[in-house]
Amino acid sequence: METEQKIKRAKLILDNVEEKQPEEDKSKKLLRRIIYSGIISLILIFIIIYTLPMTVLSFKSLIEYATIVAFVIFLFILLFRYFAILVFAYLYINEYTYKNIDGFFPFVSIIVPVYNEEKVVGESVKSLLKLDYSNYEIIIVNDGSTDRTREVAEKLVGFRKSMYGEIKISLINKPNGGKANALNAGIRYSNAEIVLCMDGDSQLSPDSVKLAVRHFTNPEIGAVAGNVKILNRGKLFTDLQALEYIEGLNMVRSAQSFIRLVNIIPGPIGLFRKKALEEAGFYSSDTFAEDADLTLKILSNGWKIYYEPNSISYTEAPVKLHQLLKQRYRWTRGILQSIRKHKKFLLDPTVNFGDTFILWTMAYEALVWPTMNIAVNLFFIVAALAFGFSSLIFFWWGGLALLDLVTALYCVAVEKEELRLVWYSIIYRMFFILIIDVCKAMSTIEEFIGIRMTWGKLERVGSAKT
Amino acid sequence: MELIPILSTIILVATISTFLLAIGAYILYKVRERKGQQVVTPKPSSVQAELITPVGVPARQPAAGGISPQPRFAREQPAQPYRQSVQQPIFVQQQGPRLTSWQQQKITPEYTPQYAAQEERQPLGTSQPRGYRGPSYAAPAQVAQPERKVKFQQYTSEGYIPAKEDKNRGALKWR
Repeated sequence: METEQKIKRAKLILDNVEEKQPEEDKSKKLLRRIIYSGIISLILIFIIIYTLPMTVLSFKSLIEYATIVAFVIFLFILLFRYFAILVFAYLYINEYTYKNIDGFFPFVSIIVPVYNEEKVVGESVKSLLKLDYSNYEIIIVNDGSTDRTREVAEKLVGFRKSMYGEIKISLINKPNGGKANALNAGIRYSNAEIVLCMDGDSQLSPDSVKLAVRHFTNPEIGAVAGNVKILNRGKLFTDLQALEYIEGLNMVRSAQSFIRLVNIIPGPIGLFRKKALEEAGFYSSDTFAEDADLTLKILSNGWKIYYEPNSISYTEAPVKLHQLLKQRYRWTRGILQSIRKHKKFLLDPTVNFGDTFILWTMAYEALVWPTMNIAVNLFFIVAALAFGFSSLIFFWWGGLALLDLVTALYCVAVEKEELRLVWYSIIYRMFFILIIDVCKAMSTIEEFIGIRMTWGKLERVGSAKT
Repeated sequence: MELIPILSTIILVATISTFLLAIGAYILYKVRERKGQQVVTPKPSSVQAELITPVGVPARQPAAGGISPQPRFAREQPAQPYRQSVQQPIFVQQQGPRLTSWQQQKITPEYTPQYAAQEERQPLGTSQPRGYRGPSYAAPAQVAQPERKVKFQQYTSEGYIPAKEDKNRGALKWR
């Protein structure tokens, strides 16, 4: 790749203005929130005080009774959610098996936004040159890196040998403006009808573009979400994340794909119809989950989104707990910001029912699920410590672990993944999910209070070699 | 001792420890983040960027073989972006009035705008990729040859026809 290439340098002036919603007065918003929650709390307290003497319950038994009812509701929702996702995912896989469209190879621009990725950008581009696809170009967008990324990327510019000939690699060097801004720069420069957005540290599988692009033969499809897999496995922490991606994210995405309503196109691999991006107003940097926000914008414009399980992007997972918390903190707050941004669809199903449905599922996953999980765990701890019902927690964990084991086995079989990952499902919910849910709950509280947050950059170790 | 109480105790201890670990880790994370907090600066309306792109055409055209049968798309034009769309960068020799949201200025001596006229301007959303000919997987379209000027023409009931053609027609008549 070190062949000398004749290159041309030119200066660009990039429009930095994004489509933004009018900002509300924060103090007014907070006051309104306090008033609403206060009124609801007062009504509930009034109902309890008024109706309690009519029952045989004391105040203490009311709390016990309410906890048990909440626990049963949680159990019901948990099982319903699990089986609904499993059934839809099964239907999707069944439908996918019989689908085979061939002979459609439109021009694709692959946008690689990089920020301090000197260790991994070379490997990423190398993986792109191994793609089993002939008609594409690579646009690297250096988002004001402070390390040697610029020099490394400049060496990659030129016509590089690929599987079917030579592929053009261009580079845009711009001041730091965030991932959304960098992706927008690349998308706007691109001349292709289909754009593939990825992360600078991700590596695509050779078939990823070929298999994803075929879904665009359907004019209703505005985007195709790829399958993200963990590259740096071998440690307990990264293996648990690998299982989470397979069981927690990909299975849900498969289920959503059956109704063509994937709610998040993952950052490491997403293919978009340029027209859908233009209609959505490109990426916005007003949320911390620009991929979730863009997906919701595309869905709200009536486009359908499909999931292609064989378009694989390998990415590095956080190896330390604080890095993982940073990532999940950003995801949770970003998703909540996206939901709030699209609240008109959340409250009015007549505008776009699909969007409303998907927003409610997102709100459930981000708000209800972690809260309930934490509450149930606390309930069992209190039941064991205060009342001596310690066997309850065993049966609870046993039941959940069995459910997770069966689901993990199914997901691993469907994705042809490593079988050893299945065993992690035994500690998956007890250890991993609880940590994630505590982080989610804390992030949710911070988001509602309105604590300011900044983007965090995950340190890449460059272990990702093809 | 029975197995269930032992397992229950293990799970209980593990759950409480995980809770404490999660809360502790979260607090530590917040402390760590607060140290490295950055000042948010207002964004300018436009930023200057640099484009680095290869010149000319690829030395080797797509090969005839491959892993799967795919169409070959020849790159005949210099691959330079030149688009009319509001969202696309426009290459100009000198900075003029703000016509689009993206503009480009000539700054480097090696930069020549000759490629500007080589690519056809297309409306947004209908743009064809560089080196892409016609609908996908179709054979490359024939480049239209400039029409040869015919010096002599003859007026007939079918309009003007080249004189040469008329001569041939005459030959047929004589037979």
